[in-house]
Amino acid sequence: MLAELDTIQSDALAAISSVQDEAALEEARVGFLGKKGRLSVAGAGMRDVPKEEKKEVGQKLNEVRTAITTALEEKSAELIAARDAAAFASIDPTLPSRPLPAGGLHPLTYVLGEAVKVLRRMGFALAEGPEIETEWHCFDALNTPEDHPARNESDTFYFENGKLLRTHTSSVQIRTMEKVVPPVRIIAPGSAFRRDEIDATHLSAFHQLEGLYVDKGVTLADLKGTLEFFFREIFGSKTEVRFRPHFFPFTEPSFEVDLKLQATGKADKWIEIAGCGMVDPNVFLSVNDARGDAAYSPDEVTGFAFGMGLDRLAMIMYGIPDLRLLIENDVRFLQQFR
Amino acid sequence: MNVSLKWLSDHVDFSSYSMEELDDLLTFAGIEVEGIQRLPDNLVVAEVLSSEKHPDADKLSVCQVDDGSGTPRQIVCGAKNYKVGDKVPLALPGCVLDAGDGKTFEIKEGKLRGVKSLGMMCAAQEIGLTDDAEGLMILSSDLKPGTPMSEVYPAVFELEITPNRPDCLSHLGVARELAALAEKPLQGVTHYCDSKTKTRKAKGSEIKISSESCPYYTARIVRGVEVKDSPDWLKEKLESVGLRPINNIVDITNFVLMEMGQPLHAFDLSLLKGGIHVRQAEEGEKFLALDGEEYELTAEDMVIADSKKAVAIGGVMGGEDSGVTEKTTDILLESAYFDGPAIRRTGRRLGLHSDSSYRFERGVDAYQVNGASDLAIKLILDLAGGKAEKEIVVCGSLPSAPEAVKLDDDYCRSVIGAEISDEEIDSILSSLGLEKGREGWDIPTYRLDLERPIDLVEEVARVYGLDKVPSSQSAWFSPASKADEAYDFASGIQTKLSSLGFYETRNLKLISEAQLSDNVATNHRKMSPVQLKNPLNDEQDYLRPGLVPGLLATAERNKRFGNADLRLFEMGRVFTATPKGDEIEHEHFALLMTGARVQRGWTDGKPSAMDIHDLRAVLEQICPAGLTLVPVDDDRMLCACSIEIGTGKKSTKLGLAGILSPARARELSLEAPVMVAEINLKKLAAAFSADLKYEELPKFPGSSRDIAMLVSSDLPAGKVDSFFASYQEPLLVSYELFDVFQDPSGEKLPAEKKSLAYSVSYRSDDRTLEGPEVEAAHAKLLDSLRSKLNVEFR
Repeated sequence: MLAELDTIQSDALAAISSVQDEAALEEARVGFLGKKGRLSVAGAGMRDVPKEEKKEVGQKLNEVRTAITTALEEKSAELIAARDAAAFASIDPTLPSRPLPAGGLHPLTYVLGEAVKVLRRMGFALAEGPEIETEWHCFDALNTPEDHPARNESDTFYFENGKLLRTHTSSVQIRTMEKVVPPVRIIAPGSAFRRDEIDATHLSAFHQLEGLYVDKGVTLADLKGTLEFFFREIFGSKTEVRFRPHFFPFTEPSFEVDLKLQATGKADKWIEIAGCGMVDPNVFLSVNDARGDAAYSPDEVTGFAFGMGLDRLAMIMYGIPDLRLLIENDVRFLQQFR
Repeated sequence: MNVSLKWLSDHVDFSSYSMEELDDLLTFAGIEVEGIQRLPDNLVVAEVLSSEKHPDADKLSVCQVDDGSGTPRQIVCGAKNYKVGDKVPLALPGCVLDAGDGKTFEIKEGKLRGVKSLGMMCAAQEIGLTDDAEGLMILSSDLKPGTPMSEVYPAVFELEITPNRPDCLSHLGVARELAALAEKPLQGVTHYCDSKTKTRKAKGSEIKISSESCPYYTARIVRGVEVKDSPDWLKEKLESVGLRPINNIVDITNFVLMEMGQPLHAFDLSLLKGGIHVRQAEEGEKFLALDGEEYELTAEDMVIADSKKAVAIGGVMGGEDSGVTEKTTDILLESAYFDGPAIRRTGRRLGLHSDSSYRFERGVDAYQVNGASDLAIKLILDLAGGKAEKEIVVCGSLPSAPEAVKLDDDYCRSVIGAEISDEEIDSILSSLGLEKGREGWDIPTYRLDLERPIDLVEEVARVYGLDKVPSSQSAWFSPASKADEAYDFASGIQTKLSSLGFYETRNLKLISEAQLSDNVATNHRKMSPVQLKNPLNDEQDYLRPGLVPGLLATAERNKRFGNADLRLFEMGRVFTATPKGDEIEHEHFALLMTGARVQRGWTDGKPSAMDIHDLRAVLEQICPAGLTLVPVDDDRMLCACSIEIGTGKKSTKLGLAGILSPARARELSLEAPVMVAEINLKKLAAAFSADLKYEELPKFPGSSRDIAMLVSSDLPAGKVDSFFASYQEPLLVSYELFDVFQDPSGEKLPAEKKSLAYSVSYRSDDRTLEGPEVEAAHAKLLDSLRSKLNVEFR
């Protein structure tokens, strides 16, 4: 019996070691350890073993079973490892990736997002107003003379009922102050329209970002600090900013803001980027008239306002040479800004 | 406005300034330098030594010219207006001239009809000085051959003067401003307001004003003048700022205009019948202007007339047949003060603009009217001779002088936010010509823009310079506004869509009438699109009532560019009007999908086209749970198959989705099915539940069963879904369609039937379900399906 067990063990180990695949291994397992396997059959012979040998044969039987099981496990691990290795060997990670639909936002949305992110850190909340505006909100309340050329039908889109498409987001200043008492600290991104033929530098509809801060004691120094901080957050902490005296009907004093920026391959250049100034007292007076109170008394509050073209900002930030690219929506253009 | 550096130097010495420093000085005065014109290198003064006919060309001559080098240079020339001994501009080889349209051309040595030409003699227009293109420019005979033209005509600044500063629309005005900022003395004649010439009120019909647009009119007569070419110094001055010399009298009026900003007009006295009458034009009155055009006037226009007819459109342009010509001997010089808005209206309506109207529109200094007349008369007598009447004849009265403005220095500091001393404030305002008087600051008559304390603060801030003002930072706690919430919600959708493979587009909000029929937005039938009164063209005459028209145009354009597989979205405002005519603005977003589902690649060489189910999947991703899509039949829809997007128990309508009709898709050259959807952003935001709450996860295992059912092929799957959704069985927790099969050949299934296979799950929250329980529930479900939907089970 013991000799037979030895034979079974050596046969089993030989068979297992010569096995090439997992099916053959399973066959070998069944052949030796299965219900009708050789070891099981031999085990059934324990009944006939004399009592005094039972212990020794039993021990031997266990030894053989353990040896075979161990060999099976080792072989199985070996075969699985080989299978894994084979599976990996067939992977070519240098193949192009499996295509997934790729999308992205319009460059203007990214630019606006950047600007809003910074300005919100600076404590500005968003505001909005209608794009179909009254002449009063777009011009009169903003201290624009009655015969100002911007009011011409050649420059501004009108509707039969006398309303117009706002020519700037500055009308949101008025819309906001009509509703809210000072202090006011808002930014208003949005569309504005001018009756311009579309070309590389003009769009009949474009995007602006307006800012307004009205409170007791707001100064030109606050305006300067605000815009310097904003533009340095956007264009880098070393960006040079300058304020040129200018004229807008709704601010006094008024300035244009230039940044010294480098276009690729060219020397640094001052580039006009925004208009700003202290809210003209006449604007406050118009708002008070509309409100029917003196919440914006020019003796009590001062304020600053600023506005910039987002399309222009996008052109500068991304080096886009032609505004028409922004409305053409060529996917090959859009996918550059993901 | 063009300002010549040389001319400016009559009043301020800028010799120590570089061009860059001058540029800065102007810029920080608030005067934008739009360009600096400089004549090119290799452009010199040359003297014509000889001129002979070209042997092979009748229209050309062969000239020898002195270019200052000592050796005569041969130039072939087509012009006829010069004579031997004239000085002309000569472009030497290497000289780069402007060819218009942003192009340039370089002068090279060459042959013209076989004869060598070593350069080009130029007309004023060719070197960019004036618009005079006829013949060569004849230069002052005093010039030395070889002198660079850039020395004769030094740099000219193209300045943009802001509308609040009409006082800077002249050389003296700009000089005055720069002298103050540069702290330099103003030289030459610095002030034209205190005319010493006697004035006399007009008598009888001498001058009559019946127009409110002319507060003050003056005339002075000079007899016995000789009209001829201006002297070189005057020609050079005018040419340097782009004006073409005409004759001495006209040139003098133009000189005064450019020198001090006062428009003048000289009439040929012999061509005036009777006195001057400043009146409104008659309705339909015809007027032949100096530019050779005939204008039809209205009663809103002011004219200068004699007793017979109009001889000038006041402040805009003189008449063709009353102007100064070579035959003129006696002249009447007009110097007047006209109302800006009236002149602007006339100019705008007639489309007629002149240097004069430009200045009147913006406002001239009424107090220099007599002084300007003096300056012109003095020059006329010098350059044209004659005898002037002793007095200026005046009619009307000058507007009142500007009122003094009080400035509280503390207010000034509080607006600027800088510690500027009282002395500094005084010194800045004084340098600008303001005088501290009893009533506050007395304002010079030319500063029409200084009326309020804030206007003086602006002057202080501007001259003090913002670079010296400290930068202060102030922050603030801002609660989120409605606009903030809307922006954040929209950003979330944008991010989701871009992650789902969509590109964001931004189309023009103005669309054509034809595009209106592409609109699928969920606007009420009674709403109408909003039309512009004055569109630029008929491609852009409506405000978009929805976003799909723009998306379709974009898809068509992209197809042309070779991008056929598209997932696009747009977010933005749309516009409609109520029957009453009130405009309503909404924020929408829209989707468009067409083409292959994935890019063709080694993993899928023949990707299938996207269909309505792809669109549904996207809608489910961006809409809150409980999205319902209901097929609709709507004659407004351009979609072959439309679904209404709703959500929640009461199913709020959020928008519409569907497949573009194949006919429209073909028109747009889009082949594959094109899916579109448009959703109201605000309604979508409202559909999201504000209070999301945790729901306990199931503790006990569930059990699932498959059902394969045979139904009529025209039964929409949605009907079965609705059945499940409303089926009352507490143990049923979910159902899923996992197979749809149809066999049109009728072999495997009857052709009029289809097979739908669902997997349904049963589960209880408080126990593990026993087999029989599940079987019982399932049997009940099958019975119900059979009776309600008339299905057979396979």
